[in-house]
Amino acid sequence: MGHDIKRSVSLYSYQDEYYDGTLDLEGCLRETAATGATGVELLAEQMIKRFPLPIEDEKFREDWFNNLKKYNLTPSCYDAFLENKLFDNRTLSLGEQINMMKRDLRLAHLLGFDVIRTLVSTPMDVIEGSLEYAEKVGVRIGLEVHAPFSLNSGWADGYMEMINRTGTKFFGFIPDMGIFCKNIPDVVRDKVRRHGAKEECIKIVDDCYAERVAKGFTKIKYDLNLGKANMEYRMANGMKEMMDKVKAAGGADADFEYADASFVYSWSEPQDIIDNIDYIFHTHAKFYNVHEDLKETAVALPEVIEAFKKAEYKGFLSSEYEGGEHLRDVGVDSITQVKRHQEAMKRCIEA
Amino acid sequence: MAARQYYDPNGFTTCDKGFSFKIKAQYYRGFTLSILRELNVEIDGEEIPRDDVSITVNGETFTMEEARTVVDSDYRWEFGEFAKVNVKKEGGLKAGNHHLKVFQKIAPSYMPFPVEATCETDFSI
Repeated sequence: MGHDIKRSVSLYSYQDEYYDGTLDLEGCLRETAATGATGVELLAEQMIKRFPLPIEDEKFREDWFNNLKKYNLTPSCYDAFLENKLFDNRTLSLGEQINMMKRDLRLAHLLGFDVIRTLVSTPMDVIEGSLEYAEKVGVRIGLEVHAPFSLNSGWADGYMEMINRTGTKFFGFIPDMGIFCKNIPDVVRDKVRRHGAKEECIKIVDDCYAERVAKGFTKIKYDLNLGKANMEYRMANGMKEMMDKVKAAGGADADFEYADASFVYSWSEPQDIIDNIDYIFHTHAKFYNVHEDLKETAVALPEVIEAFKKAEYKGFLSSEYEGGEHLRDVGVDSITQVKRHQEAMKRCIEA
Repeated sequence: MAARQYYDPNGFTTCDKGFSFKIKAQYYRGFTLSILRELNVEIDGEEIPRDDVSITVNGETFTMEEARTVVDSDYRWEFGEFAKVNVKKEGGLKAGNHHLKVFQKIAPSYMPFPVEATCETDFSI
């Protein structure tokens, strides 16, 4: 059998060029094709103005499909944002949230996607209540497993229980490779240096991160109060001890900025991919900085892709560049970064 | 490559009732104004009361209080687009140099903590 790993680019990657106006939606598709990727992932709310109205328009869709054809791209994943706190005085009701999910499934379908990405804040009932519709339009719902969340955790078990109970084939996981960070990205370290962080404090934080990786991260719990769950997770992974050390070393704002940022990244064993492969149908190949020698400094790319190969994954690895936000004071070049990342993935896949 | 631009360099205006400027949201997608939870303006060290700030997107103007319920597709703060921020201030701004500081707080539903950004600039008018 073997694997069938395809490469895609999430247009999230080109956000800085889009923000500046140097790339529009078509420009992003053109750059995606230029990397050699065959798939494209879209955040409709990022690059389709007056969302969601244009998607309802036949002419807009005709242009979209013509562009996909022109650049030889397949729609890989539609990233939805279930804005269930649309108003500041309440959370949308279950029914309202299910309708919103159905709307997004429909929009994804209209643009030719058969996978939708939903976020960890999506309540289980909303997913369950949307499954029948998902099946009807032929779009699978993938829950993004983004740091600080992880597969093989109490959090994921709740969803596994739902999969087993309902027998659904229309729900699964979309791992984000930010859960496979062996180090804090170098672009983050360089940024806090520009902000005046001390080498001594940087070392404390890096050592604490290495310790977390070596010991294994304490997993986050399932809780719709994400702020609470996140704080408990940070404390269980030694946040207080680390902060105390930084403070004792005379840490100032930039040092605490780095300490705080260290919790954005996490390390899971790549074996998690193999254990859960039956429920993974899309993947965010998150990355932060790929050097000229094609080495990504935070995500353990070769190790992770090896796990996908071993698991005989059939789906897309979708480049998702997230280093730009640390370079905005000096300038961002997402186009070069994505090209390098695609080449790095290609080599790992073909190795 | 250059540093990210927050403000439209040609977007600063003043009159005897107040002043205005154009700024981009520091978040990676367009969003309904209902999740824009704060837009605090400080000019030359002076904090402007919330009720004296309004935002214009796609030709329509909303006070910060009104923005809380704006969910129409035509009036999102689109990614990469400038919104015009209008500030009531008796007498407006004097000719010369000024320092502007804007604090944006955007609350995407999925995030455990809101997205916050402080954007500062010097400009002359």
